[in-house]
Order: sequence, then C-alpha cells, then structure tokens
Amino acid sequence: MIPLSNYLVLSAILFSLGFYGVLVRRSAILILISVELMLAAVSINFVAFASYLDPELFSGVIFAIFVITIAAAEVGLALGIVLRTYRERASANVDEASTLKW
Amino acid sequence: MGERVVLNRMSLPSQLDRTIMAGGALAALVAGPYLLVLAALAIMGRISGAEFVWWLLAGLTVLGAVGAVTSRNVVHAALSLIVSAMAIAGIFLLLASEFIALVQILVYGGGVAILLLFGLMMTNASDDPIVIDGSQKPFGFGVALVLGILLVSAMSGAAWGGALDSVAGFREIGTRLYRDYGVPFEVASLVLLVALIGAVSVARRDREEDAE
Repeated sequence: MIPLSNYLVLSAILFSLGFYGVLVRRSAILILISVELMLAAVSINFVAFASYLDPELFSGVIFAIFVITIAAAEVGLALGIVLRTYRERASANVDEASTLKW
Repeated sequence: MGERVVLNRMSLPSQLDRTIMAGGALAALVAGPYLLVLAALAIMGRISGAEFVWWLLAGLTVLGAVGAVTSRNVVHAALSLIVSAMAIAGIFLLLASEFIALVQILVYGGGVAILLLFGLMMTNASDDPIVIDGSQKPFGFGVALVLGILLVSAMSGAAWGGALDSVAGFREIGTRLYRDYGVPFEVASLVLLVALIGAVSVARRDREEDAE
C-alpha cells in the first residue's frame, strides 16, 4: 500500500525542480518547459488528494482536467509571444527582452 | 523584413558533446543501482508489485525532470520533459484515474511536446548553448533547494490518512463535469478559443512588416 505522502513528496520534488528551472534557465522555451513541470506537479497533488480523501466527489480530478487545459492554452500563447520576440530581436533569451523594465 | 535569420544547424562544440556524454553516464550511474535495489527488494518480497511500479515511475519522473532543467541541449530538455510527463501518466494510472492518464498522454505527449519542439526549432535556441543558464545559477539553486526541503519536510510530516479506493470512471467524470462544472467547462473552452486566436494574432507576420 502506497501512502498518500509518497505522492505529495514526489510532487514537491517535481515542483522544486521546475522552480529551479524557472530561476536558472535563460531561454524562454526552457523556462516554459520548467513551468510545465510545476503544473504537472500540481495536478499530481490534485489527483492524489481526490483518490485518497475524496473518492465520492473526486473534485481533484476535475481540477486536474482544468489545470491540463490551462497548461495547453498557456504553451500555445507563450510560444506565439516567444516567436514574436524572436522575430524582433533574433534571440529567445529572456534577459534581452528588457524594454518594459523601466 | 529586416534581416533573415539563417537557420543552419551548427555542429555542437566538442566540449558540449562531452557534457552531454557526462550527463548520460551520470544518469546511468544513478539509475542502474536504483533499478538493482528495486529489483532485489521486489524479488525478496519486501515490496509489492504496485510499490515496485510506483518507485519505478517516481524515479523515471524525477530523472526526466532533472534532465529537463539541467540539460545543456535544448532538444534533450524537451525530450526529458516528455519522459517525465509519460511517467506522470503512469502515476495517474496507479491512482486509478485512467481518464486523467489518457488526457496527460494526449495533451503532453501530443500537443505540448510538439509545440515545444516546434518552438525550439523555430527559435534556433540550440545554437547559443552558452546563454542557456543565467549567471545567478548558484542563488537559484540555493533558493530552489530551500523550497524543496521545506515542501518535502512539510509533506512527509503530515498524516493525511485515507486510502486509495476511488475508481472515477469515464461515466462518472463526464456526469460530474457536465452537470456540476458546466459553467467552468464553458469558460475553459472560451479560454482555449481566446488563446488560439491570441497565439495566431501575436505570432502572425504583419503585412507592413513583410512589405519592408
């Protein structure tokens, strides 16, 4: 029998790995990949809680469906923005997209 | 259109090649003993079949995630993300949520992976591997390590109780999604539509830009 905390610890590890990626990576698409990892960690949490603590209503499963939907929309939109920025500056490096900084 | 960016795939510097080889060797070095210990425990009967599969999938997930955030080659990073996402689909199956597992495979393996690889190819990010990681890498590592330790200690310390007994089948999920979550469902489809139109209109090449 696998305890619930196993899933929670796995999702915490995944979330911190994704967080590390977001902080360290400089290429916009690699940051997107890290954000995807964080979102996947969140949906593991939702589904695990639904299966262990809420078997009648399983609201967490429904929430995970919405999380995956939003993740897909986010990737599509973000890639559009990245392509646009790349066309303007010939670089996908987020450090160079600093026009809005001041 | 000002300057046309040349999309030639340059061969990787030999130093980078060596980095990738070292990463693969390191992964094998970690994964090999892990698999051996797991197999030994399973043969001795210390862990059940479900636990064996759980540890296998958890190891694969973490390995894929580490590859995705540390790989110096951007295509390898995207492929590692796919490995991680597929292992997470397996974990959803272990949680008796086969619908989410299928959605995960379809959306991540089908949509997100292709989109990310497309983006990588079109922005040619693999040609500037030097700027992949920022100069604040040690600080980022420290902050993420502290966050990870905090989260893991909080999660493993809590006694949630409960037991795995849900089989939320397709029929139950469909009923609940359309009966109780009808409005959020419609809003989600609206969000998808807006994201679709927005992505097209943002990434579209303007007429004036073409005429230049």
